[in-house]
Amino acid sequence: MTTQTETPIASMPTEDLQRLVEVAQLVTAARDAMSDEIVTRVAGAMSEGLTLLDRLTRNEGLMHLLKVLDRRETQYLLIALSDAIHAASQEIPAAPPVTGGLACMMRVVRDPGTQEGIRLLSVVGKHLSHSLREQHRRGG
Amino acid sequence: MSDSKIVDARDTFCPGPLMELIRHMKQSNVGDTLELLSTDEGSSADVPEWVNKVGHEIISNEKIDGVWHIKIRKAK
Amino acid sequence: MRILVVGGGTGGTIVANNLARRLSAEISTRKVRITMLSASDKHMYQPGLLYVAFGQMTPDQLYRDQASLLEGSVDFYVDPVKKFELDQNKVVTDNGKIHEYDILVIATGSRIVPEEIPGLAEGAETFYTEASAVRMFKRLREIQEGTVAVVVGVPHKCPIAPVELVFGLHDYFKARGIREKIKIKYHYPIGRIHTIKEVATWAKPEFDRMGIEYETLFNVSEVDAANKVVRSEEGTETPYDMLIAIPPHRGMEVIEQNNLGEGGWIPTDRFKLTMNGHDNVYVLGDTTNLPVSKTGSAAHFEAEVVSENIASIIKIGIPVRDYDGKVYCFIETGHDSATYAMFNYQNPPDLKSPSKPMHWFKMAYNQMYWTSVRGLL
Repeated sequence: MTTQTETPIASMPTEDLQRLVEVAQLVTAARDAMSDEIVTRVAGAMSEGLTLLDRLTRNEGLMHLLKVLDRRETQYLLIALSDAIHAASQEIPAAPPVTGGLACMMRVVRDPGTQEGIRLLSVVGKHLSHSLREQHRRGG
Repeated sequence: MSDSKIVDARDTFCPGPLMELIRHMKQSNVGDTLELLSTDEGSSADVPEWVNKVGHEIISNEKIDGVWHIKIRKAK
Repeated sequence: MRILVVGGGTGGTIVANNLARRLSAEISTRKVRITMLSASDKHMYQPGLLYVAFGQMTPDQLYRDQASLLEGSVDFYVDPVKKFELDQNKVVTDNGKIHEYDILVIATGSRIVPEEIPGLAEGAETFYTEASAVRMFKRLREIQEGTVAVVVGVPHKCPIAPVELVFGLHDYFKARGIREKIKIKYHYPIGRIHTIKEVATWAKPEFDRMGIEYETLFNVSEVDAANKVVRSEEGTETPYDMLIAIPPHRGMEVIEQNNLGEGGWIPTDRFKLTMNGHDNVYVLGDTTNLPVSKTGSAAHFEAEVVSENIASIIKIGIPVRDYDGKVYCFIETGHDSATYAMFNYQNPPDLKSPSKPMHWFKMAYNQMYWTSVRGLL
């Protein structure tokens, strides 16, 4: 006499059964490998991470900075600054040390690159000063 | 006239009515009367069992509107 | 609006941090100020003491700096209160400083008073302080054979501790290979082995299976430390080689000295968590006189309600929520298993079968606790 319905396990193809067994073995292995120390360390890291994340996201300055950093111009500027410092770090060590005195100073100032640099600094200074006055006026 | 004190332990599971009674008994003086209110039906048996074993006195034990009122006198 | 929080334990810290977050706008415009006064600059994770008693944690792991757990906007002083003048809305500290408040939160906790039972302090080990937990571990390591008796005082914080202790002792002596030489005898003050019915029903066969002896209706009357005998009000006695006691508790001395509540337990409204007779004073944690478990979890849930209500009173003039009596306690059942008891005023606990993942959850919570007192969980 045959049964109306066979048990599901008995009717499964061998490969599927094999896969099920492998998954079960994996779960058991993971459970066996888990120790109090692992749980403690992971939970500790996650808790500290959550605390740090909370602090960072509530830091108005950081959030504002992130918004500013998102802007293309800011990124270009930072890249340009980084390139400039890199170039300077190559040029300065290779250049002979300054001898000091007015004559040397005149030589440096005569250099077009230097004059570009001085102009840049003075324009930046002008806008920075204006911005600071504005903030002070607005009560910052 | 001894002090009579209400111990309202209705709707509590932990520490539970009897433990609450024990706590209040400790804070009371010999001769004081306490009235325990409990919604736990076990109290009607648990409380007298404890009271008698320790050596205090049950004055009354009745159920009114779903709440057990058990009056105890601190005897020692 | 000056909010003063007295007590830097679980409840006080959560209330202060939650309020600091909810009222950050009002704080930055100086409409609200939150001050916390505590007796200590350190915050202790008290559930860790049982681990220390079994050598599973070292005492340093129990503490963090209280200041590191608080929102920057909370003014924190290690200067405990000496006098409460509730009618004048002010407190005076040990250093003589006066703090006036508009809203006061008292979360001073509770302390052990082993001296209430003659001979207990001399004759019994306990794990309710750091020093005694370390001492208990050393004694557990030394004992080779004999009777280890466990007795329970009333009231005490952490109602599940007696059961966890006994499971822990069984596992510990088994691990040492001396379980057959040690008799564990458990004594409990009421007519079953635990005050929570569901725990008593579940634990009894476990005790039988583990060979743990028990005597119910044993209310400790005295300890004869010289002869190593512990006696009960009921007239029975148990000789012991090592006695471990969960001592009776009272509220903090300052609460009793200021007549705020008998035994140091402050009369509190069980839903609003306000002090009887003082609507601008909230009480939470161990120091209430509520028939609610004295546990960190109760303090946590109470603190959530209190902070939500204080914030809503400040913002819209009325409270929004009642405390429903919620408590959630892990139960370590030994052998890397655990379960939990969750209940409130309306619903009894419904114990699930102990499992390994639940034990891992408790392990994880030992770390997550620090994040939860910051108000993040």
